[in-house]
Amino acid sequence: MDVVTLLWLYILSLVRWLLREAPGLVLDLLKGLPGWLWDFVWFNFKPLLQIIVMPGLAFILLFAMIAVWFERKFLARAMLRIGPFYCGKRSGWLQVIADFLKLFFKEFVIPEDAERMLFLASPILLPTIPALAITLIPFDRNWVLFDAGGLSLPVFLVIAGLAPIIPIFAGWAANNKYTIIGSFRTAYLYISGEIPLVVCAAASALLAGSLDLVDIVEAQRPLWFAVPQIVGFLVFFVGLILEAERTPFDVPTAETELVMGWRTEFSGILFGFTMMAEYVSFLGWTLLFITLYLGGYMGPSLFGVPLYDHVLWMLLKLTVIVVVIVLIRTVYPRLRLDQTLRLGWNYLMPLALLNLFITIALKLWGLMP
Amino acid sequence: MREAEVKPEVMRISWGPQHPMSGQTRILIDVDGEVVRRIIADIGFTHRGIEKILERRTFLQGIVPIERMVMVDTANVALAYVQAVEEALGIEVPERAKWIRSLICEMGRINSHLYAFGLQVECTGYFPAVFLWTTVDREVLLDLFEKLTGARWSYSFFIPGGVRADLPEGFRDEIREAVRYLRRRFQDYWDAMVENPLFEIRNRGVGVLSREDAIRLGATGPVLRGSGVDMDVRRDEPYAAYGDLDFKVVTEREGDCFARLKVRYHEIGQSLNMMEQIADEIPGGPVRMKVPLFPRSKRDVEALSRVETSRGELGVHIFTDGGLKPYRVRINSPTLRNMYVFERLAELDRVLVADLPVVLYSIDPWYLDCDR
Repeated sequence: MDVVTLLWLYILSLVRWLLREAPGLVLDLLKGLPGWLWDFVWFNFKPLLQIIVMPGLAFILLFAMIAVWFERKFLARAMLRIGPFYCGKRSGWLQVIADFLKLFFKEFVIPEDAERMLFLASPILLPTIPALAITLIPFDRNWVLFDAGGLSLPVFLVIAGLAPIIPIFAGWAANNKYTIIGSFRTAYLYISGEIPLVVCAAASALLAGSLDLVDIVEAQRPLWFAVPQIVGFLVFFVGLILEAERTPFDVPTAETELVMGWRTEFSGILFGFTMMAEYVSFLGWTLLFITLYLGGYMGPSLFGVPLYDHVLWMLLKLTVIVVVIVLIRTVYPRLRLDQTLRLGWNYLMPLALLNLFITIALKLWGLMP
Repeated sequence: MREAEVKPEVMRISWGPQHPMSGQTRILIDVDGEVVRRIIADIGFTHRGIEKILERRTFLQGIVPIERMVMVDTANVALAYVQAVEEALGIEVPERAKWIRSLICEMGRINSHLYAFGLQVECTGYFPAVFLWTTVDREVLLDLFEKLTGARWSYSFFIPGGVRADLPEGFRDEIREAVRYLRRRFQDYWDAMVENPLFEIRNRGVGVLSREDAIRLGATGPVLRGSGVDMDVRRDEPYAAYGDLDFKVVTEREGDCFARLKVRYHEIGQSLNMMEQIADEIPGGPVRMKVPLFPRSKRDVEALSRVETSRGELGVHIFTDGGLKPYRVRINSPTLRNMYVFERLAELDRVLVADLPVVLYSIDPWYLDCDR
């Protein structure tokens, strides 16, 4: 046996010892702590842990990275390309991190005529506002970072409804003709898309008899709301693509017409923030969609018996919806602004109202508890 | 260029050369909200003086610069020049060479239409999916070009008096195989995008050019045929082998962007049929006449040749003064004529900012062709 092999054997045995013994050691250490200190630490640091890990920063960043990676590879397949290939072996998973580093260390240019403060502040506010809304989503029955109780659905809609103001300001602050057109398109788009969404959300709350998101999820234990509210389910799905500015409705950033819409003048990490904001707002609306129609953290019920509640069900549903939305991007071209508005006002809005009436009828005749 | 004054109620946007979709040109648009009130194309932005360059080259040398006019469709452009030179110098062309010329022209037409097709789809925001499909499928044709002429682009294969070389061994079978492959792929295009409802509403009724306006403004090529005018130089004044080939001139009645796209699509089908027919029925014989390397022209001869390129009718008019070089070459290019139509479309029909790239690429512009 040569020296290198011996060294490896030593390292492996050390690791094996640590794995076998370390949990016991840590537990012994914790048992030694006084109980009140343990309670203090857990009580104070649980929200911090949640902010950093699950509904918070790490989850959002990880989601954005995985979604970007998947979208790139999947679109590349549709375009007969390979996609990111060299960073991170064949799968190209390191490319996202490499791009982030590149954007981070790049110089960003502020146009001479731009409104400096607003121009710098808006890309940072952009991902923050939808991220705030995500804190209201229940990831399990006792896992709500910001428990607004009976107000959580309205608060979500209010916070998420603030988001479109930032692109409008950003487009104005950059003082460019393309950004101005892009930001006004954003304003039109959100108004036509958000009102049907709010009506659909109201119908769900009505069916559950509560504005609390946890109660809405619990009310779906016998049957997911996607079944009685199939119209609202479809309207919300289209509306969420519209709200997240994803491809059939990405009119505000239409690359072939407006260079990059209201993002035209952002460069470097500022541009990176705007890209991230797209995914964060997409994530926020998708999570609300899952909570309202697909039973949130609950597993699918088999023969009336719902499966074990777990946050992983939520992630699984999220994955399926992301795949469907990326698929839509490969299949459809972009609609024009007037066509998008016509879709919002002439189709989504009446259908959302129809859904509301169906819900009221169901409640009145007692078909749904 | 003429910088027209800006009215107070509109905003003037410089749509080019830095725009991702503009290509190497500059277009000014006056927008009122989302509506484009006026389009001003900067014709001459990429002027390279090809007509002047041709005066300094001998007849044979002129083939290379004129091919640079439209890189994606070099065969048809070079054919126009070579035919004009042949007419001016009185050179005969053997029958087999004419058929080979037609073959290469039709392959070039498919190549060019594929490019136009992909770009128009990309304009509607189909992110580059279909554009890359067409680019990949072009490889089949480029391989054929390489085998036949030795170059994938700008082959300089046509010379006064015929073509440079005969078809290589087994080439006719390769043509048939390529045609089979492309037919299958074009069916995919039709299913994936032409029948896609969202793609259709982005293109139908956009940038409508009526039959009368198309004739009045001098549109040409697929733009003219998309407006229902049945005109094609290949049939009206047959050159090369087109007199013997069976094909029908594709026209659509609507005159919108979708009609122009469909004209291109069906023309590709016709070109594929012609390729097959040439592979089956090409006559034997020599492919090249003996012509001196530097032929001397007669005094005061005028020659005009018209060729239907993939963008429309190209006219090359040559005047000679008895020297080794042409005295003057005048090129009437199809994109120039279509660019005037594009400028007027904002007045003829309601064009929105979102429609602008679709309308622009539905006329299939090649700015170097326009500016010569």
